[in-house]
Amino acid sequence: MTDNQLSQAATALFDEFCSWETVGRAESAGWAGELWQILQQTGFTDVPVPDSLGGSDGSVADAAQLLRTAGAHGAPVPLAEAGLIGGWLLTAAGLSLPDGVRTALPPSAGSLRLEGNRLFGTVSAVAWGHRAHYVVGLVDGVVILAPGPAATNQRPTVSRAVNLADEARDTLTFDGVPVTALAAAPEGVTADSLADRAALARAALMAGALSAVADLTLRYSRDRRQFGRPIGEFQAVKAHLVTVHQQARLATEAVDGAVCALERGRGGFEIACAKVIADLAAVAGSRAAHQVHGAIGMTREYPLQYLTRRLWAWRDEAGGHQHWADRLGAALVEAGPDALYPAIQSGMEVFQ
Amino acid sequence: MLFTSGELTTQELRLRERVRAFLAQNLPPGTFEPGLGMSSPADRAFSALLAEQGWIGMAVPAQYGGRGATAVDRFVVVEELLRWGAPVGHHWVADRQIAPVLLRFGTEEQRRRFLPRICRGELCFCIGMSEPDAGSDLASVRTRAVPDNVGWRLSGTKVWTSNALGADFMITLCRTGDGTGHQGLSRFLVDMHSPGITVNPIPFIDGSTGHFAEVVLDGVLVPEDMVVGDIGQGWAQNTSELAFERSGPDRWISSFVLVQEFMRAEPDLAASVAGRRWIGELAAQYWTIRRLSLAVARSLDAGQTPSADAALVKEMGTRFEQDVVIALRGLLDRELLWRLDAQASPTVFDRLLRRAVLESPSYTIRGGTTEILRSVAAKGLG
Repeated sequence: MTDNQLSQAATALFDEFCSWETVGRAESAGWAGELWQILQQTGFTDVPVPDSLGGSDGSVADAAQLLRTAGAHGAPVPLAEAGLIGGWLLTAAGLSLPDGVRTALPPSAGSLRLEGNRLFGTVSAVAWGHRAHYVVGLVDGVVILAPGPAATNQRPTVSRAVNLADEARDTLTFDGVPVTALAAAPEGVTADSLADRAALARAALMAGALSAVADLTLRYSRDRRQFGRPIGEFQAVKAHLVTVHQQARLATEAVDGAVCALERGRGGFEIACAKVIADLAAVAGSRAAHQVHGAIGMTREYPLQYLTRRLWAWRDEAGGHQHWADRLGAALVEAGPDALYPAIQSGMEVFQ
Repeated sequence: MLFTSGELTTQELRLRERVRAFLAQNLPPGTFEPGLGMSSPADRAFSALLAEQGWIGMAVPAQYGGRGATAVDRFVVVEELLRWGAPVGHHWVADRQIAPVLLRFGTEEQRRRFLPRICRGELCFCIGMSEPDAGSDLASVRTRAVPDNVGWRLSGTKVWTSNALGADFMITLCRTGDGTGHQGLSRFLVDMHSPGITVNPIPFIDGSTGHFAEVVLDGVLVPEDMVVGDIGQGWAQNTSELAFERSGPDRWISSFVLVQEFMRAEPDLAASVAGRRWIGELAAQYWTIRRLSLAVARSLDAGQTPSADAALVKEMGTRFEQDVVIALRGLLDRELLWRLDAQASPTVFDRLLRRAVLESPSYTIRGGTTEILRSVAAKGLG
């Protein structure tokens, strides 16, 4: 599939199975189960895992494209955790994909520890953890595949939590649950590189959500009439429209650049940039979009909030903008003033 | 493998290495006063040296003295020059504006006459657009050109014209027809040494008198062969070339040298939590805006006219380069005292900071205000 074909296929699928009604229902149901089934049937949950491990093949760019589309639809399923994050961990460790719903543990993995093949400890903010048959994570330098709370036996206990967008971010407690599979993390798979993946995945979702916010806002500015004409004809409103589109463009460009760098075997600098930009864009873009919408944007009846609440939540997930800015800044200060511009042009190694 | 327009090819990267090596040799840091972007000083000798490398008027075809290079090649060269703080003032307008204008609209004779001299770095141009009653509303210019038996007589007043004092020629927008608004406007190339021209310096905000000027045209005779393109097409020409003018590195890089010198002058502050976060955030913004700007150059090379995109990039690029100065002052949080005794000369950083604080408000005004750019960009949405 070309980029364009993938994008069209994904858009058609999400349009059909992830309407705003679906997103709204998922807030009480805890997720969008039917959407997940469809994504699994089409293999979209298994990009970019190679066919030999039970995946759907595909590149990082493909995975990021899917996440942009998912972000634009506010998809209430652990697509990022299944593919770009968890799928990558399993692939790197040579572990095959399990059947069922899977999610990924956050890079820090909370207080989890391995004793032999048994898992102990607590980890919080696990995306759609309560629905997972399996969780994938990196614990003490070991890639693990472990039963999730939805597994039939020998499972962790779960306590539910949600983010600002009412997306499930659950706390799981493992009390000696035996892992399903494990493998030592190969070179290049570290807490840092996992954090990079998680940040890129969030940035891609955010770029998609911002593009959808820009489209929605432009449409509303043409439909809504005040003072006898569409509000989009007013100079002051046009300024907001330009801001929303700029922020969407910035986030999209930053994600493209980060994906490109990652495919070339780099990415530390570029992914940090992408998350910083996505976070800044989320704030500036949401603000301008709400200003254009006025009161209707403040209601649950109108879909803007499905997107902006996600943007406000995601900006703090996988490391917020200050975390990534500090990481970038520390590396740049260390490298010195003469290395600053070359880094902006070509990236650099970024160490914690 | 994904190849996005934000990446450079191996050949383009080699060009960048050549420019870097050239600058390291001919303009070593510490041996010159760095400038802030395109408002850097005019240095005829440096421009001549650059021209010897083929880096002025690069996109001009070889038959007119150029290299037939791409817009991206020019981006690569200009980016290095500006981030180095190199003195590009002498040839800047000729290279960015006049060469493309002549290639698009000029007669064969005009191309043969001007382009080789532009490519040799000889000619300095200024742009005479604004008038006392025509700033953002350029369509209301009143400077009039009336036919004379050998050409046109120009009368009127242009104001806030940058570099008019040192310029050899001015490109100017005049009313030639009876129409109003966008109708009946034409552009001319005016020899700044023609009888009837008076250039009166207008002191710039930093107190300098070599930058801004008023150009009074009193029946200045401009030969017929100095009309740019067709009479009456001035407005269409003006808007169609904006993509060239509006999205290059000069629209977001102006305060970069200041950031670099800040890191050198204030290493402890740069390494503080606030300093690191600021530098990290800046780097992310430079990186992203640079990619968008490069994408516009690629699109120009593909034969497109991305005017709305260029406006979108310039609108955020110029606000960004201005925000850099404001944020830096917030980080420094100190008075900017300027000692008047000759013994205590200010540091490079102090001089740059003073200049940046004073001139950065112009970033979102020159070449189209933020408000005008938003209108252009909004037209291109959806």
